[in-house]
Amino acid sequence: MHELGIAGEILSVILTEAARHEAKKVTEVTVRVGVLRGIVTENLRFLFGNLAGDTIASGAPLVVEEEPVVIECGKCGESETAAMAWECPSCKCPDIAVRGGDSLSIVSVELDV
Amino acid sequence: MISCAEMKVPLDRSIQQSAEDTARAIRGLLAARKILSINLISSPGSGKTTLVEKMIESFGETGRIAVVEGDIETDIDAQRIRKHGVQVCQINTRSSCHIQPAQLVRALEGMDLDAVDVLIVENVGNLVCPAEVPLGEDVRVVLLSVTEGDEKPLKYPLVFKTSDILIITKTDLLPYVAFDTEAVRRAARTVNPGIEIFEVSATRGDGLEPLLSKIEALRAEKARGKGRA
Repeated sequence: MHELGIAGEILSVILTEAARHEAKKVTEVTVRVGVLRGIVTENLRFLFGNLAGDTIASGAPLVVEEEPVVIECGKCGESETAAMAWECPSCKCPDIAVRGGDSLSIVSVELDV
Repeated sequence: MISCAEMKVPLDRSIQQSAEDTARAIRGLLAARKILSINLISSPGSGKTTLVEKMIESFGETGRIAVVEGDIETDIDAQRIRKHGVQVCQINTRSSCHIQPAQLVRALEGMDLDAVDVLIVENVGNLVCPAEVPLGEDVRVVLLSVTEGDEKPLKYPLVFKTSDILIITKTDLLPYVAFDTEAVRRAARTVNPGIEIFEVSATRGDGLEPLLSKIEALRAEKARGKGRA
């Protein structure tokens, strides 16, 4: 349920931004979430929708961009993106490094002004 | 006539901006006093408090250690630590599964930081949320006890990716459990090639020496004002 705090933070940021632009309505919110963050997208959408309730963000879709990890193989040199892996998707060896996948950011907000 | 237009505002802003700002303030506050700050993270019952007690015993009065205990309820851990004669503050997070930076600020406000060289923050027992929340620490330490199973780095990669040190605890129980230490080392290094790994049995004392030497080196480095920026 750590999605609750995150949903609250997203709402707080976009409402501040909407007020700054004197917006009448928030029409869409886009966030980027790394696969390592352990965020359940459905939970995040549900909680965001609920918290947005009576605000001008009510009904605004929450678009979630998933950020994959990059798997770099130390043996075959291949580099590819994946949800998560503990062996090289190409040569199946465990000699890999995993990079990225830890984003947690608000990309943009669309407003009716 | 009311004009209506749609606009897209690019933000590219961390969802945890306010927590990160507070963590930065904590880091500044502690850096000004050259206090080494350690964030201890693990599942409930993996031996964080016992390890903290061993560190206090090892460094003695000259260690100038202060401890912040995070638990959802009770001050049982703070009582344990207080017996060792060091400053301790208990945070009860109630419904929150981790210490928030703002809670740590309030705890620090009640402490005499001029009498502290090492601040140990024992986070709420949880491998998920504490990994996501910075507390302005110099060193993040994750503990994994051998009774929890060797698949934990696979299940909870973020905490292993964001930690500087991994301590495999309760190694005295290795003969009784199926725990592949090498598999854990390999998995932790897959997500975090630079992670330093120690194996200890805090109750029996095995492996404590290299770990305590490491902490002492970090403390000395910090005291010279050369700690990690």
